[in-house]
Amino acid sequence: METKSPWRPTRNQTLALIAFFLGALAIPGNPYQGSVVELNTQELATIVDTEVDHVTAEELADWIIQGDTEYRLIDLREEAAFAEYHIPTSENVPTSELLDYPLLRNEKIVLYSDGGIHSAQAWMLLRAQRFQGVYILLGGLDSWIEEILFPALPTDATPQQTAEFERVAHVSKFFAGTPRTGVDAQSASAAIPLPTMDPSAAPIVPKRKRKKKKGC
Amino acid sequence: MMAPLYSYGLFGDEFSLVLAFIIGIGFGFFLERAGFGSAKKLAAQFYLTDLAVFKVMFTAIVTAMLGLFYLSWIGWLDLSLVYLTPTFIWPQIAGGILLGFGFVVGGYCPGTSLVAASTGKVDALIYIGGIFAGIFAFGEVFPRITNFFYSGDMGEVTMPALFGLPYGLVVFAVVLMALGGFWGAGAVERIFGAKQAES
Repeated sequence: METKSPWRPTRNQTLALIAFFLGALAIPGNPYQGSVVELNTQELATIVDTEVDHVTAEELADWIIQGDTEYRLIDLREEAAFAEYHIPTSENVPTSELLDYPLLRNEKIVLYSDGGIHSAQAWMLLRAQRFQGVYILLGGLDSWIEEILFPALPTDATPQQTAEFERVAHVSKFFAGTPRTGVDAQSASAAIPLPTMDPSAAPIVPKRKRKKKKGC
Repeated sequence: MMAPLYSYGLFGDEFSLVLAFIIGIGFGFFLERAGFGSAKKLAAQFYLTDLAVFKVMFTAIVTAMLGLFYLSWIGWLDLSLVYLTPTFIWPQIAGGILLGFGFVVGGYCPGTSLVAASTGKVDALIYIGGIFAGIFAFGEVFPRITNFFYSGDMGEVTMPALFGLPYGLVVFAVVLMALGGFWGAGAVERIFGAKQAES
């Protein structure tokens, strides 16, 4: 009796079948991480508690003076405010555009806004998108203005405070600030005009690899 | 390099060149083994007698697409870090037509001409000379065609984004297109191959 041999696919047919099934299986998938994410809330809470995600104004000033280029400084404020004054080396990116802005997940990213609220919110957005090295400028631009641009020496300062002030005054002058002593120290820093941003002067941009033109 | 390992800064320019060299050797080797070092074989696809080029290229596209898709789906690859060539639709159409002309007339595309030259084919060496002459000529006329060169800018656009379709669906559609293409190519080869054998 003759038995009909079962159909055996050729090698090409096998490959075609594999491709077909992998293709069909792909239908519900999306290779890009969408706007829906999962968060490790415990890990985030620990980071917030331990405050390892903070950079003080003084640390930032040090980096800028030393020409450290291993960070991206992001100014989250409006364009007009940015034009009026911004911390050297910063890039202006409103929060709504942050996720489309070309940042890498392994870069050290320092965020600042006027106070701390916007940068804290933006910090959460970036962490949710799996950016690892996201930091907040502690106290925001307000702190920068208070501590770096217009540091004040109390009238009843101890010698230690005076020595410290000398150092900070030096830093302040680097950023075209105005250290306050004596009577000035009593006045609110808001009364002193911010250093003007010379639009003709090229902004200090951290040196980084230029995006190369790539292709076949 | 286009891949995220370089974008992540895991290695620098120098090492990326070493990697490019290794990958390039592999690429060239398999092109040659697929028969792409022969202008006759390459040109045969335009006479519809041998569509191996079409089949190899489409196989590579489907393999790479499925590989990238699944690697990123399981989270091993960050596709947002992979470089996408920006689309400038008008100059790219013009360039595609020009390259096609050169392909039909010369029997090579730029990559395969290098493969053929490495096996000592003289026509490929002349073809490469033509490539360099063309690059030089392009450089000379570039200032006059700058506007055209940057026209039709669509940015880094992908098919799912352009047509508003889910990614997975486009992946499946491309697979179906490829399978249909292989089947059609086989049929076309049988028809035109037979005609050629008759004459």
